[in-house]
Amino acid sequence: MARVYKPGALSADEIFATGLRDQWHAVCPSSWVERGAIRKLKRLGEDWVLYRQSDGTVRMLADRCPHRGAPLSHGMHLGDRIACKYHGVQVDGEGTVLSVPGMPGCNLEGKKLVRALPVQEVGGAILAWFGLDTETEPTPLVVPDPLADEGVSEFLCYTEWKAPWRFAVENLLDPMHGAFLHHESHSMFGGEQSARFRIRETDRGFFFEKTNQRGVNFDWVEFSRSGVDWVDLEIPYPATAGPGGPFGIVGMATPIDEGTTSIFFWRYRRVVGWERDVWRFLYRTTLEERHWAVLQQDRAMLEGMAPDADQAENLYQHDLGVIRLRRMYRAQAEEQAKALAEA
Amino acid sequence: MSLYMVPIQTRTGDPTPYERQLATAIEGVFGEGEHSLEGLVEGLNSAGVFAPDGKTWTAESFTTEIARLGDQ
Ligand code: FES
Ligand SMILES: [Fe+2]
Repeated sequence: MARVYKPGALSADEIFATGLRDQWHAVCPSSWVERGAIRKLKRLGEDWVLYRQSDGTVRMLADRCPHRGAPLSHGMHLGDRIACKYHGVQVDGEGTVLSVPGMPGCNLEGKKLVRALPVQEVGGAILAWFGLDTETEPTPLVVPDPLADEGVSEFLCYTEWKAPWRFAVENLLDPMHGAFLHHESHSMFGGEQSARFRIRETDRGFFFEKTNQRGVNFDWVEFSRSGVDWVDLEIPYPATAGPGGPFGIVGMATPIDEGTTSIFFWRYRRVVGWERDVWRFLYRTTLEERHWAVLQQDRAMLEGMAPDADQAENLYQHDLGVIRLRRMYRAQAEEQAKALAEA
Repeated sequence: MSLYMVPIQTRTGDPTPYERQLATAIEGVFGEGEHSLEGLVEGLNSAGVFAPDGKTWTAESFTTEIARLGDQ
């Protein structure tokens, strides 16, 4: 009987720590996997190999050869398939063994023996569907609306932090830190340092927003689930950034492993024509490094927190968004663990 | 594992002296609260920050040049 590797039944804690399954997650910038390239990456605690076929299609496979488990990422790119470096077994983008050169006609040929994840490219990033099991059909992926909007111009900023993914997402659901952590910054020096918040439901998630201030600092965030989990938020620019109003961020955070996170920030602005061009010029020339300095403030804070920082908290009203998010993820992790145990 | 931390991801080299000077001047005019195209062109000209050919900016020459710079 042919065997296909899959990780054992994960507990709810393991799922919560390494990322929820049965959804799309951003994996890496598209530019990381050029045509003809092979790239090894860890995501959701597992090793994957990505490659781009000569026709431009990106593929993502478990990084284990079906023969004896060698890393396919050490192998050779053959246009539409990878040849394992160890004994030459060839595997295509669906995970099917195409050829066993050492033993032609071997019965492994034609069998799908490697896990392959469905992938899509959105806004210059590769997204993949991480099913709970190999058979689950992907849910449709609805592209975050700012990234699908013709009137919006964006840049992807990608980085990695030594912090659990939940800290990164909770940080985005916590607008109040803008007025404190980012008080010394080009964009978040203004506004009140106290606020009341409210949760406003939507059909795809919820808003967490200040009730007393909007358009002055980091004053609201929307959390959405549209096949992929993402946030949208808005922060004002100073007058020096020119016409076009505030900039927005579409943010995603993908677990690499339980202590490390991939961060995807699409910084965008509603600008067209010369206003778009001038913003893009300024972004490249002066603004990008200011944005980066702000992101480093978040990074330093989250990396400085103990991995169990959330074990003895004393929360207040500003943390309602965080609480809501945790409950949702926690409950879902329990459900997924149950489904795995029953399978 | 080394983490990916690259502050500048949208260009490969440093901005040229011309690009730096132009960006600083644009931010200067915008900082005055002047956000119209006409005002920007006028502001750049009166700051003495001219087009690469040494000519004063017009709305047309500026939009052409900034489209080039913005799309690189
Ligand atoms: S382990 Fe890959 S071909 Fe043998
Ligand atoms: Fe922040």
